Amino acid sequence: MEQLQQGNESAFSKLVDEWQDMVYNTAIGIVQNPQDADDITQEVFMQVYQSISSFKGESKFSTWLYRITLSKALDQEKKKKRKKRFAFVQQLFGNQGEELVQSIEFEHPGILMEKKESAQALFKALKQIPDNQRIAFTLHKLEGQSYLEIAEIMNTSLYAVESLMSRAKANLKKQLNKYYSNNNQ
Amino acid sequence: MTQKIKGMNKKENINQQVNEALDSFDGAQRASTSAYLLTRIRARMANEQNSVWEQAGRFIARPWVFALGLFLIIGTNVLLIINNNNAATTSVAEQISTPDELSNTVATLYDFENNEP
Repeated sequence: MEQLQQGNESAFSKLVDEWQDMVYNTAIGIVQNPQDADDITQEVFMQVYQSISSFKGESKFSTWLYRITLSKALDQEKKKKRKKRFAFVQQLFGNQGEELVQSIEFEHPGILMEKKESAQALFKALKQIPDNQRIAFTLHKLEGQSYLEIAEIMNTSLYAVESLMSRAKANLKKQLNKYYSNNNQ
Repeated sequence: MTQKIKGMNKKENINQQVNEALDSFDGAQRASTSAYLLTRIRARMANEQNSVWEQAGRFIARPWVFALGLFLIIGTNVLLIINNNNAATTSVAEQISTPDELSNTVATLYDFENNEP
């Protein structure tokens, strides 16, 4: 870390090598788009390189990295929503602009083959629940983080994470029920 | 009776699908980035350092900067319109007084001309 703070290039390349999959996997779980996740991963490491001197070691490095990744991923989502709204307005005024809908179903590359279909439904349902519940659920299920670690990343209490997880599961159940009821008709 | 059983079966089926979906992330492996991430990061860093204009553009594109700019433009326009309205009221008053004077003058001239034998 000291070498990195002194601007050592090889220390930076080691860091990227060590943490890239963690950053990418977290980002792809949130934005559900490989290209966006790749962009976010690049931005995260750029920010790490630029602001490593501000990392005082008060929390674990992984916690700091998760925080940057999550904030970038949520920013990216907001940007995309803004773009969609703008494209919608453009279409109202007869301008074709960018294409509105990206309805391709997301497939996470790390999900087991036999679970891919169910996972697609779960990813769809995840888009419908509040951000903090989605973050807690994704960190726990896709990144294998414990509730305690999630509490540290989200800067909250263990009790709050437990509550977030139970609300996330209840909301996801509701969304999935709706999805499968419509699909089984 | 048969319909009730069918309905229960459907509900059970949905419940099973929901539970399967909720457990579908179990055993998942981490997704990996495409190759040469470090090279792409370095290229992007070099690009960003070069383009001052991009940085300025990004600054202007920030929502609060954009909103402030818009507010200033609209505010200036509103002020100009209010000022113009005031000025317009004065000039209308002037316009009214001038024809009166003119008409007086014309009338006087007309009277004067009519007085001629």
